[in-house]
Amino acid sequence: MGQVIDLAVSAILLAGLYATMAYGLGLIYGVLRIVNLNHGGMIMVGAYAGWWLHFKYGIDPYLSLIPVSAAAFVLGVLVYRVLVRRLPRGAAGGVQSLLLLFGVWLVLRNAAYLLFTGNDQTIRTAYSTRAISLAGAFLSVNRVAVFGLALVVLFALHMLLTRTYLGKAIRAVAQNPDSCTLVGVPVERIYALTFGLGTALAALAGLLAATLFPFSPEFGATELLKSFVVVVLGGLGSVAGTAIAALILATVEVFAILALPSYLTASVGFVLLVLVLVIRPGGLFGQRVLG
Amino acid sequence: MKRVLPVWVRPRAVLVAGIGAAVLALLPFFHSNRYWHNQITETMLAVVAALAWNWLGGYLGQVSFGHAAMFGLGGFVAARFQASLGLPMIPAWIVAGIVAGLYALVWGHPTLRLRGPYFSIATIGVGEATRLICTYWVWLTGGSSGMSLPVQIQLKYQLYWYALALALLALAASYALRRSPLGLSLLAIKSDVDAAGDVGVSSVRLQDLVLFISGMTMGICGGFYASYYSFIEPGDMFGFSRSISFVLMGVIGGIGTIAGPAVGALIYVLLRNALLASYPQLYLGLYGLLLILVILFEPLGLTGLFLRVFHRKRPDLGVTGVAAEDSAAPATGVTPAPAEQRGAK
Repeated sequence: MGQVIDLAVSAILLAGLYATMAYGLGLIYGVLRIVNLNHGGMIMVGAYAGWWLHFKYGIDPYLSLIPVSAAAFVLGVLVYRVLVRRLPRGAAGGVQSLLLLFGVWLVLRNAAYLLFTGNDQTIRTAYSTRAISLAGAFLSVNRVAVFGLALVVLFALHMLLTRTYLGKAIRAVAQNPDSCTLVGVPVERIYALTFGLGTALAALAGLLAATLFPFSPEFGATELLKSFVVVVLGGLGSVAGTAIAALILATVEVFAILALPSYLTASVGFVLLVLVLVIRPGGLFGQRVLG
Repeated sequence: MKRVLPVWVRPRAVLVAGIGAAVLALLPFFHSNRYWHNQITETMLAVVAALAWNWLGGYLGQVSFGHAAMFGLGGFVAARFQASLGLPMIPAWIVAGIVAGLYALVWGHPTLRLRGPYFSIATIGVGEATRLICTYWVWLTGGSSGMSLPVQIQLKYQLYWYALALALLALAASYALRRSPLGLSLLAIKSDVDAAGDVGVSSVRLQDLVLFISGMTMGICGGFYASYYSFIEPGDMFGFSRSISFVLMGVIGGIGTIAGPAVGALIYVLLRNALLASYPQLYLGLYGLLLILVILFEPLGLTGLFLRVFHRKRPDLGVTGVAAEDSAAPATGVTPAPAEQRGAK
């Protein structure tokens, strides 16, 4: 019984990270109808950026969240302005944008290999191995911190999308870009901002993940697939849906350890992805537009 | 004169293919350079794989990022049947092809209902899951340490002609799948599944058929690879980078064209060997850059470049081809009609 509770707690803590990771992907897809394959690349970039700031200048990884996200935002806007904008949208551009953004990912990965070699890296801080005890169970400080930060980020996003003019504009563009042009919403700028926002979220999630797991230039591929599972399960743009979907994925993954040999647990996410796509491509709650 | 070939076969194409094949078949007798012998064999194997990928990714527009799953499965099935059951090489390849084709149907039949990015993402999942499962399926694959077949120098030399035969078959199949009446149905499915269904094209059956042929060919390629290199291991056979190499060949040569991916395969193999020899630390990024440039400037790849240089008419290849360029979004301002939800069917 104690084991089940321990696993449940670690599933909940993991779900926070998964939700943050997936939200950027869902946001970009919801507004631009583009699957950002570079999401995995930006997760990797975020991880390395945090590691570099910590390793070189001794900046605490949680403090570097803001500068790293800001830089990733700029990078995202650039990628949109220079590359993505030139593609046709919708069904015609689907495959092309996929391949294009995959190309960007390959370039980033190569850059990481050149700069940091292919070795596994970790961010180790003074509190990396510290744990707090809670009702008899021990919780890693890092995991709790990541969970808390993920909640803060998701709440801030929810507020941004529902309570601000910008958020309203983003949701409107997601519903119908043509009508937005008619009423004077700068659609192109919203697209660029959304792409930047999604990219920044990816880097932020990557940095959070890097405080928990080791990473290499290959980091991000599995995370991209998990994000996709969450997006498809949870529907688009709904914070609550994303959170529930992330919880489902984390629970299935964590509890798979009880039923499967450990080497197969890694494939649970992939199998779940295919199953979800086949059985409920519209997500658990039907396909929702942002809001 | 009685018509020997169906109406949709151009005699000129048959002639060109025949001459090319004859030259390649006789080449080793005049020029016995082992390095090029090996390069051409490798290239022809890549040609077969690239064409097989293109049937699904180009003709149907279902870009697969997981074709290494069938390649690897075919390789290990062929190797296992030869090593443990003593089956001769060719029957082992056939068994490998059938197993790989059936495996493609197992995951593909349900996932092919998905369109565009949804399908592509699902294939990443399939590829990675297959890699993980097969890596630990020691009976079939020998686990991470892989498995070896006896090295036969003479056979390795002869496999050149086997590869040539396979490449010719794959080219013929590419030609038939594009230009026959069946090809029109595939084009219809690629352009608009629902409309194709309305005029009586059975998209489910045809997509399954193409997937099976594609997967089967991949399996045979895997079997060939195992025979040629005598050593295979799951991390390489099922690797994501192998799946990506098929995509790259198709994109470089021209997605959805008949012979484009064959040219793409040639460029890919030569480029890879040159890069690995001189700039191994850059080849990943260069592929990425190539991918970006092709997609941005010439979505039809080298074929498109060729057509542009010689002012030829561009073939209608469905959504990712000419039609996409016509409806391409202007850089700024009004976007075309809001993208409809293709995945949620």
